[in-house]
Amino acid sequence: MTRRDLIRTGLLAVILAPFAALFRKREETGTGYFWQIDPDKCVQCGKCETECILPLSAVKCVHQYASCGYCLFCSGYYQDKRIEFNTAGENMRCPTDAIIRTYVEDPYFEYKIDEEKCIGCGKCVKGCLAFGNGSLFLQVRRDLCKNCNECRIAKACPADAFVRVPADRPYIYRKPPEVKS
Amino acid sequence: MTHLSVLLAAQARFPAPEFESYTLPEMSLEELASDSVLWRVLVLCVFLVVGSLCFYKWRSRKAMLAYSLAGLAVFGFIFASCPCPVGMFQNIAEGVAAGSYIQPGVLLLFAIPLAVSLFAGRVFCGGACPLGAIQELLHWKSVFVPRPLDRILRLIPVLLLLVFTVCAIFGIGFPLCYLEPYLPVFLLDFATPFAILSAVFLLVGLFISRPFCRYVCPYGVLLRFFSMFSLLKPQITSHECVNCRLCEQGCPNGAVLPPENAETAVQHRTGSRRISLLVACIPFALFAGGLFGYFSAPVLSSFHRDVRLQNELDAGIRSEAVEAFESTKTTHEELRARVVKLQNGVLLASTAAGVLFGALVMAELIAEARRRREEEVYSIDASLCFCCGRCYAACPLERKEKHHEK
Repeated sequence: MTRRDLIRTGLLAVILAPFAALFRKREETGTGYFWQIDPDKCVQCGKCETECILPLSAVKCVHQYASCGYCLFCSGYYQDKRIEFNTAGENMRCPTDAIIRTYVEDPYFEYKIDEEKCIGCGKCVKGCLAFGNGSLFLQVRRDLCKNCNECRIAKACPADAFVRVPADRPYIYRKPPEVKS
Repeated sequence: MTHLSVLLAAQARFPAPEFESYTLPEMSLEELASDSVLWRVLVLCVFLVVGSLCFYKWRSRKAMLAYSLAGLAVFGFIFASCPCPVGMFQNIAEGVAAGSYIQPGVLLLFAIPLAVSLFAGRVFCGGACPLGAIQELLHWKSVFVPRPLDRILRLIPVLLLLVFTVCAIFGIGFPLCYLEPYLPVFLLDFATPFAILSAVFLLVGLFISRPFCRYVCPYGVLLRFFSMFSLLKPQITSHECVNCRLCEQGCPNGAVLPPENAETAVQHRTGSRRISLLVACIPFALFAGGLFGYFSAPVLSSFHRDVRLQNELDAGIRSEAVEAFESTKTTHEELRARVVKLQNGVLLASTAAGVLFGALVMAELIAEARRRREEEVYSIDASLCFCCGRCYAACPLERKEKHHEK
C-alpha cells in the first residue's frame, strides 16, 4: 500500500462517516426538510410573489375552509376602497381574479382559490386577517418548489417566517380558531 | 399596521356557520409525489459511471461532448439546477453547525462526486455538473491564461470556499446561490438582474475555457484536492509520446504539463533558495491572513438578519422587519445578546479562516517553486483536468490508432 492509497482510503472514510450518524439521527429530525411559511409569522409583505427564482412563484394562497366564516362581505375578496359590492375589477382584492366565489345558502358564500391564477402576492391574506378569521394564508407548494439550497424568499422575508419542515409534514396549518359558544 | 394584523391573527370573529346541506371541502394540498432528490442521486450515479467509461475506456472527445450534452439536458433543464451539488457544501456546513437536518439525498449528492473523484478524477465536472456542461458546450476559441495569472486566480475559489463556509455556519446566508451565473439560463427566465451575470460569464466562457469552474467554483476546490489522489489517471496516449506539444496547445484548462528535463546545478540552487525564502515567510503570511479575516468579520456579520435588524432598530428606521420584530415576544435585550454572540463567533471563525487561507496560499506558492518529478513526456495534472477529452483528439498517435481501428 502506497502513501497515496492510504490517503485515498482515509478520505473515503471521511466521506462515508456521516452516513452512519445520519441514519441514527433519522428518527429525531424527520426524513428531510423543506422550505415552508409559518402563517403565524407571515406579515404579507408581497415578497413571496417577486423573490422566488421561478418565473411564477411556488408560493400560493391556500384556504382552510374549517376556519372560514363564509361571509357575504369577505374582506379577502373585496377591496377596502371598493365602490360597490360587486365583482367589477376595481372592487376586487385579488389582482388576478383568482378567488372563485360560489353561493352556498343565504347569506353564506364559499371562497375558493384558483391555483392556476394565484401568484402568491398575499393581498387576500392580509385582507382576511385584518377583518376576518384568517382562514386564507400563504404556503409553499411542494409540487412547485425546487427546494433550493437557499430560498431567496426566505432571505428576503422581513418577518423570518420561512422555516424548514420535515418531509412527512410539509405544510403548516393555522390553528383552527376557538369557536365562541 | 402590519404587526397589528399578526397580533389579531386567526381569530374567530365570524364563527363558522351551521349549514344544512353543505359539507366542508377538503384542503387540496399535494404531497411531494416522490422523493425527487433520491431519483437524482440514482441518475447521477449512472452519469458518473458512463462518464468514466467514456473518458477512461473509450477515450473519445465526441463521447465526452455527448456526455456533457446529456448532463446539461438532465441536470440543467429537467431537474432545473436547484438544488445543486456545487452549493451543497453550504447546506452541509449549516446542518453540521446547527446539528440538524441534513437530508440523506443532499448528503449523497454532495458526497458521491467527491467519492468518485477519488477513483476517476473530475468526471463530475466534465458533464454531470450542469454548470460545467454548459461551459464545456459554449466554448468557442481558447484564449490561454498565462500560468502565473492562472495560479493566482485559482486562489479565488479557495477564498470563496472559506468565506462561504463561515457564512453558512453562522446562518448569514448561502452567497454562492447568488453567484451561480447559469441559473437564469436553466430556468429560461431572463427578466432578473442575475441575467447580466450569466451574460458576462457566458461571453467570457466563449474565449476562456470554464471561467466559473476554474476561478469561482468552491466545490471545485474540494474536487481538485480529492482528485489528486485519484486511482485512475488520465493518460494522453498509451503509445510512446513524440513530444509534439499538440496536447498542451489543445488543453484550454492548463492541465497538460510539459516534460521537465533534469535541472542544472545553478537552477537547483536558486530553486531551493526560493523555497527556503518562502518557508521563512510562512509566519508572516499566516499573520496577514489572520488580520485580513479579523477585519472582514464585521462586514460578514453585517449581512446577518439579526445584525441588520439591530442596526435598523438603533438607527430608528421603521422597516417591515422592525415592525415584524416588534409584533413578536422577543425583547430588545435578547436580540442584542444574540447579535453580540453571533459577532463574536464570526470574528473567531473569520480569523481562523484567514489564517487557513494564508497557509493555503503559501502551500500553493511552495508547490509551484518545488521541483516536479522528472518526466520525459507530456502528462496530465489530474487535479486540473476537467475530463473534456480534447487532448485525445489533439494527439496524433491517438488519432492514428482510432483510424486503424476503423
